Amino acid sequence: MKSNIPFKLFVNCVLVKGANRSTICDLQRNDVRVIPNDLHDLLAENEGKTIDEIKKQYGNEFDEIIDEYFQFLYYNEFIFFSKQVDIFPKLSMEWADSTIINNCILDIDENSNYNILNVLQQLNDLQCRYLEIRNFKSAKIEVISNVLKFLKESESSIQSVEILLPYFNGIELWIASTQEKYVRLHFVRVFKSPFNKNIAPKGDHKLHVMFTKQDYQNELCCGKINQSFFSANMLAFTESVNFNSCLNKKLSIDRNGNIKNCPSMQYGFGSVASTKLKSVVTKNDFTKVWNISKDKISICKDCEFRHICTDCRAYLENPNDHLSKPLKCGYNPYTSEWSDWSKNPLKKEAISFYNLQAVTEKP
Amino acid sequence: MILLISSKYDVSTNNVVRWLNYYGINYVRLNTEDFNPLNHFSLSNKSSKLTINDIDISTITAVWHRRGRLRHVPNSLNNLGKVTDYLKKEEDSLVKSIETYLRSTKKYIGSYTSEVENYKLEHLMMAKECGLNIPNSIITTSKKDLIGFYNSHSQIISKDLRYPINIKTSDVSINSIGTFKVTDELIQGLDEQFAPIYAQEYIEKEFEIRVFYFERRFFSMGIFSQHDEQTQVDYRNYNTQIPNRCVPINLPLDIEKQLLSFTDKIKLNTGSIDFIYSTDERYIFLEVNPMGQFDWLSKNCNYHIEREIAKEFMEV
Repeated sequence: MKSNIPFKLFVNCVLVKGANRSTICDLQRNDVRVIPNDLHDLLAENEGKTIDEIKKQYGNEFDEIIDEYFQFLYYNEFIFFSKQVDIFPKLSMEWADSTIINNCILDIDENSNYNILNVLQQLNDLQCRYLEIRNFKSAKIEVISNVLKFLKESESSIQSVEILLPYFNGIELWIASTQEKYVRLHFVRVFKSPFNKNIAPKGDHKLHVMFTKQDYQNELCCGKINQSFFSANMLAFTESVNFNSCLNKKLSIDRNGNIKNCPSMQYGFGSVASTKLKSVVTKNDFTKVWNISKDKISICKDCEFRHICTDCRAYLENPNDHLSKPLKCGYNPYTSEWSDWSKNPLKKEAISFYNLQAVTEKP
Repeated sequence: MILLISSKYDVSTNNVVRWLNYYGINYVRLNTEDFNPLNHFSLSNKSSKLTINDIDISTITAVWHRRGRLRHVPNSLNNLGKVTDYLKKEEDSLVKSIETYLRSTKKYIGSYTSEVENYKLEHLMMAKECGLNIPNSIITTSKKDLIGFYNSHSQIISKDLRYPINIKTSDVSINSIGTFKVTDELIQGLDEQFAPIYAQEYIEKEFEIRVFYFERRFFSMGIFSQHDEQTQVDYRNYNTQIPNRCVPINLPLDIEKQLLSFTDKIKLNTGSIDFIYSTDERYIFLEVNPMGQFDWLSKNCNYHIEREIAKEFMEV
């Protein structure tokens, strides 16, 4: 600590002010610290001054608390001291991505009959990089294997595949043999499993497998906001500052073959059997939700977690307002309290609007 | 058509390629791990012509030479001991000549020749001529002179002149530990005469600076390695648990000017340059890596360097 040299926040430790408190989002070390709004304001207003100057500004009345604040900041390496504060520019908040569609969700059930390989071909033309395939009722392992085989043989732009499927006897063997063959398979989530188990990637294997006893019956399970999904990194943060943190550059095909922003959304853009993906993704109607950043969403815009949070535009607290906060969020940024969203009496109407009463949520 | 010469494992090349696709820029990529047949490099008074891997190089408008160099010796000749050594030497002169030829006929960014002839002492001399601060340095074979240098500085460090040591035989394995502090015991253990040792004054730093240079543009990053014992001497002794703070930095204009005249002097149109910002408030030039990595720099500073590189080829 050097109290006579100007202090500066490392620019990758970004302050986000909420209604009741603030956060320091450490985008380099993926760390989030909640701080009082007083400290936020102290930092925002005094960056580039020395601690001695700041103390003096407050008539040396709060020296102790100022010391405490700065010890916390210095100890966690959120700040540094230098006479050269001017050579450190602001961090660019630009988000840029070299794809037309970055990620895609394909829902498949026993009645789905759309041509999945044709979709994959079109996704390659859109430079899509991430694919999630979801099986709700039964595991369509022959379809999944065909997809992985196709991606490998066609050297597709899709490099990473995530799969959601229900448990079946012999699934562990199937996963083991599939991961040997297809390095693009990065995540498998097995639900309705007799056990809970988490297998982290190890050595050369990039695959992460998660078994959960929970049941996911359909797309209604999606959209939950939870602290465990928070992530403080440069890519996610800058995307959230500029774009919607769930739907930006996302494309989905629901189980009936309808092109959508997300399978849970009501509005579709035609059947994939008769509509080219490329013609949809250039439509303003399709891309306009990409621009709904957290700063535009009511309540979220007052939340200190807004730029490290996921979003959901499918299930809204007020279904008639497209800028309403996610229904499945239990956090109140005005009181800083978390509660169970599904038990909130104020959300009852919206819950029945979306027929969510009987749904088990994705953790 | 753009020609990319790189390693198939280079992340930055992969990212640039995505942007080339995004902008619809045509390219062909040759990887340094593969054998690349040389159809012909023909020279005469009337004309010269080059075809590699069935690519007529006259159709190439610009080259980005990102990593390594092409291999023109078939893989079957790779395990013939001294014969292979000889063939590789011949190949080396061929590869350098092809680079010189291409450099004179088209936009050619990056250089294998600069990478292998990356002599730290020459660069120090040139940097000094351009007005940049350099650390006090000595190269000596004499214990007496080394002790003299050691005694006239509070602390000194040592590093390699060109190649990090990497020797593996059946009974020994010697690996470079990078830059290290020279201690009393180390010096005492030396003979009166030894092979040239490269030593420099140890500079107390406030932070280090890594500059990625590309076609007259600078992308600079401050690295706060001072708080961490593991990275105090050299940030490349990475701490992966708690990474050093890395943030964007704007070099002062006069330093940028001096750097520009330096890169002109050593004929470098891309590369990575290391500086120290010392506790006595000086920018001190350390060294250049013509084919250095910049992926971490681009990500930490949110510079999108890969996109800027792709855009550079849009205008060709």
